[in-house]
Amino acid sequence: MTRGEKRELTAGLLFISPWLVGFLALSVYPILASCWFSLCDYSVLADPVYIGTENYSELWHDEVFWQALRNTLVFAAVSIPLSTALAIGLAVLLNQPVPGRGVFRTIFFLPSLVPAIALAILWQWMLNGPVGLVNNLLRQPLDLINRLAGTSLQPPDWLNDPSWAMWGLVITGLWGAGNAMVIYLAGLQEIPAELYEAAEMDGANSWQRFMHVTLPLLTPVIFFNVIMGLIGSLQTFAVPYILTNGGDGPGRSLLFLATYIYQSAFDYWNMGYASALALFLFVLILALTWIVVRFGEKRVHYAGR
Amino acid sequence: MRQPFRLAPLAAVAVLLLAGFVPAQGADNPGKITVEFWDKWSGFEADAMQSVVDDFNKAQDKIFVRRLNVSRIEQKMMLATAGRVPPDIVNLWASNLTSYVQNNALLPLDKLAREAGVDESAYIPMFWQLCHQEGFLWALPLTPSVTALHWNKKMFREAGLDPEKPPRTLEELEEFNNILTKREPDGSLKQVGHLVQEPGWWMRDMTHLFGGSVWDGGSKLLLDEQPSRDFFAWIATYPQRFGGDAMNRLRGAFGNFASPQNPFFQGRVAMIMQGVWMDNFIRQYASPDFEYGVAPFPIAGAPAEAPATIADTDILVIPAGATHPREAMEFMAYVQTQPAMEKLCLAQKKFTPLREVSPDFIRNHPHPYIRTFIDLANSPNARPILALPTLTEYSNDLNNYVNLLMLGKITTDEARQTMQERQQKALDKKTARWNRAKAKLLAGWRSSL
Amino acid sequence: MNKLPSRLLSIALLLVLGTIFILPFAWMVSTSLKPLNETMVLPPQWLPSHPQWKNYPEAMDAMGSFWLYARNSLLLAVLNVVGTVISSALVAYGFSRIEWRGRDNLFLLLLATMMIPFPVIMVPVYTLFRELGWIGTFKPLWIPAFLGGAFNVFLLRQFFLGIPRDLTEAARIDGCSEFRIFWQIILPLAKPALFTVGLFQFMATWNDFLGPLVFLVRQDQFTLALGLQNYQSMFGGTSWHYLMAASTLVVLPVIVLFFLTQRTFIRGISTTGLK
Repeated sequence: MTRGEKRELTAGLLFISPWLVGFLALSVYPILASCWFSLCDYSVLADPVYIGTENYSELWHDEVFWQALRNTLVFAAVSIPLSTALAIGLAVLLNQPVPGRGVFRTIFFLPSLVPAIALAILWQWMLNGPVGLVNNLLRQPLDLINRLAGTSLQPPDWLNDPSWAMWGLVITGLWGAGNAMVIYLAGLQEIPAELYEAAEMDGANSWQRFMHVTLPLLTPVIFFNVIMGLIGSLQTFAVPYILTNGGDGPGRSLLFLATYIYQSAFDYWNMGYASALALFLFVLILALTWIVVRFGEKRVHYAGR
Repeated sequence: MRQPFRLAPLAAVAVLLLAGFVPAQGADNPGKITVEFWDKWSGFEADAMQSVVDDFNKAQDKIFVRRLNVSRIEQKMMLATAGRVPPDIVNLWASNLTSYVQNNALLPLDKLAREAGVDESAYIPMFWQLCHQEGFLWALPLTPSVTALHWNKKMFREAGLDPEKPPRTLEELEEFNNILTKREPDGSLKQVGHLVQEPGWWMRDMTHLFGGSVWDGGSKLLLDEQPSRDFFAWIATYPQRFGGDAMNRLRGAFGNFASPQNPFFQGRVAMIMQGVWMDNFIRQYASPDFEYGVAPFPIAGAPAEAPATIADTDILVIPAGATHPREAMEFMAYVQTQPAMEKLCLAQKKFTPLREVSPDFIRNHPHPYIRTFIDLANSPNARPILALPTLTEYSNDLNNYVNLLMLGKITTDEARQTMQERQQKALDKKTARWNRAKAKLLAGWRSSL
Repeated sequence: MNKLPSRLLSIALLLVLGTIFILPFAWMVSTSLKPLNETMVLPPQWLPSHPQWKNYPEAMDAMGSFWLYARNSLLLAVLNVVGTVISSALVAYGFSRIEWRGRDNLFLLLLATMMIPFPVIMVPVYTLFRELGWIGTFKPLWIPAFLGGAFNVFLLRQFFLGIPRDLTEAARIDGCSEFRIFWQIILPLAKPALFTVGLFQFMATWNDFLGPLVFLVRQDQFTLALGLQNYQSMFGGTSWHYLMAASTLVVLPVIVLFFLTQRTFIRGISTTGLK
């Protein structure tokens, strides 16, 4: 290395030193420590005791773990496409010169700013079975259907029904689509108008314009959002935790991997087992992200390629 | 760059808020040792405790006890103890003891208590025993708890049952249950006679109604034994008779325990298993003309010679690593004296864990059924509450499976077998942990005597 | 080509969706102003018969030390903003304006850390802080902000990369130290980006739940979020008017902040997505 390069290296390392410290203390050390703890029985009030791969074999046979995994994956698989579609839809609507655009944009964006605690308590109230607003709004159309079709449909007791609690949570998440909508809106505004005009002249209707101009050019943004959404939804903790008052929902339907990790660590004092679960979650996130990246790279259309 | 300037007034408010609210911690009691006391009670039960704390603080000028309402106290206390910043005293339940002791979260109190003059002979034996594990004393009793059947006399009368004749066996209770359960014209439930999940605070222990327990006190769970089978079979009769969805809807309309919307006060549930404190809550929240009776909760089969009940007690413990254990014990010993204990228990409408009571205590006690509860506490058939090392995991699982059973989404065998398998594994893990640490911990505790 | 029907359709859709999105807010405020007995009537009443403004002070009372919790949240938010802005700027500068060996590989590593979920590091970090004696203090919740968060470093690096080289080359040739270039040239140019980072961090800290849940054990250190959850788990269930009032209070600062900084906010979010 030349002297100039050495000077640059020192300067560079000095500037990033806060991050380096953080990286070592809050990324490297914890991952290594997690690996060690996952091979131990550790109650935190005593020292960790090595027990080999017992935690992992327990994990493999743990029905609650599999349920948590299922819930986490199902939630991601359902909420990501739905919220993407909603966010894009809203962005498309807002991309038009309609009156009051700014107001609408604010209305759609604000819910994504609501702190998790307020969000969860509000929706706990909205999804209340007997007196919640959601069910009150659903009752009339359902009564109508019942009268016409002779059925006896009732709105579900969202947070007490094992089959519906997850859907309640999905609805809660959809309310926060405004954040992604803003990003998509910016992406839409980057699409040059000439492309639309050209498509129109070729005789394309609005749906075709959407499918062949808008969507392909949005794919980089979609790609980014889906990956961020994936990483985020696999770590879901706060909202279901507060919705269920620190529990896991009816029939454990709102038990997520992050919740189970927290429970194992701080309710059952099995920190070794919690570490094994956490490492599994980490690997899961890496694997799924890698799959999505692989899958997406080929389909993402970068303008100018 | 207009935007940051718009924030200036907001920032000014923020600075004012930050500057003005420096919490005065310990600065209010110079010269005194502050003992931090985490209390699980809230509302008027907390007020009762606070009045005893106030008495203690006024009676001497060396120690100041600071009482705090803490929710989810079992979890917070473990978190604080593990984080090496525990409070000095915590108000817990006797059922918590095993898991705390085995995790070395508590200070053994034998020496401290002896030096403070606390003696076994002062207590009703059941409550003194509940404070012991592995031969050491870990807690001092606070207010005792025994369970009994509470029934709504008006609902009995309206259903054609004699309001003075409670069911004497579990089978009779279920007969009454069927009579007392009424439906609306559309098929939904208007009221039920009894619902296992209301309040459902002792489901772990209810196997005793069938003559057994779920735990052998050591390392084995007994969910495959007959009493457990009977218990789960009993639970399964509920969705069969009343319908899982209907029960769920009814429960959805239940209000908070400590409110006028308590289903027992509202006449939605006629019979419940509750404890000695219930009279206090009835006075506070039920309508003035609410009539209720108390009797031993009936067991399955022939009525027992001596009445059966589940005995628990609120306890005061000192977490391991507490800063002021001696001062903490001074306060705890004060609470154990007859006048202080009677004041606390009277305010909460309970009886005391002490053998000796002042002559007027019972005679003038406002709880109309206090004698019944005292007899239950002294009954040879009083069962100590289940103190599993895996209490949290077990409760979590049991609530989940009872819920699923009630909804009719699972069979009793599935529930019972899955629970036995999973919880036995969890218990084995804790047993192994305890076996590994036992020798060292016991030696350490012994040396502190 | 008649655009009117499609335009009308869009407006109609926007109105419907807009109503749906605003409904929860409206219901939250409406419930917060009702007396208890009106909260659970069927069919639901939209407006309270007499707005009970006293629900707000009563809810703050019921929650316990409301202002103390608010102060704690504010304190942590401010500390985090200061720490993040300073450290992210420093680190981003190091990753963008200086050419040094291994820089881009280390940056990839930084990006990779964004995929580490908090639950993975939760337990070891808890034990680390325990050994340091930080449990029972605020330190676990603000000191890490001074260590450069990956996301903010990423944001700022992108911005710094966009600043033309010639602005700094001249200074470098003149013999200016890197720090002076950072302080006197880059930082002033980056004000909008720094403001955005600070804003996002404020929101993130105000919103943080799991961190305080794990690291704060003393009740007098609780943040608003934790204090509200504490109230919910003790008295929740049927005091919906108080719960809604308290929730409104927790949401209000965030909304006010948004309206004051709308443009920066929206611009900031848009640019994150467009990489």
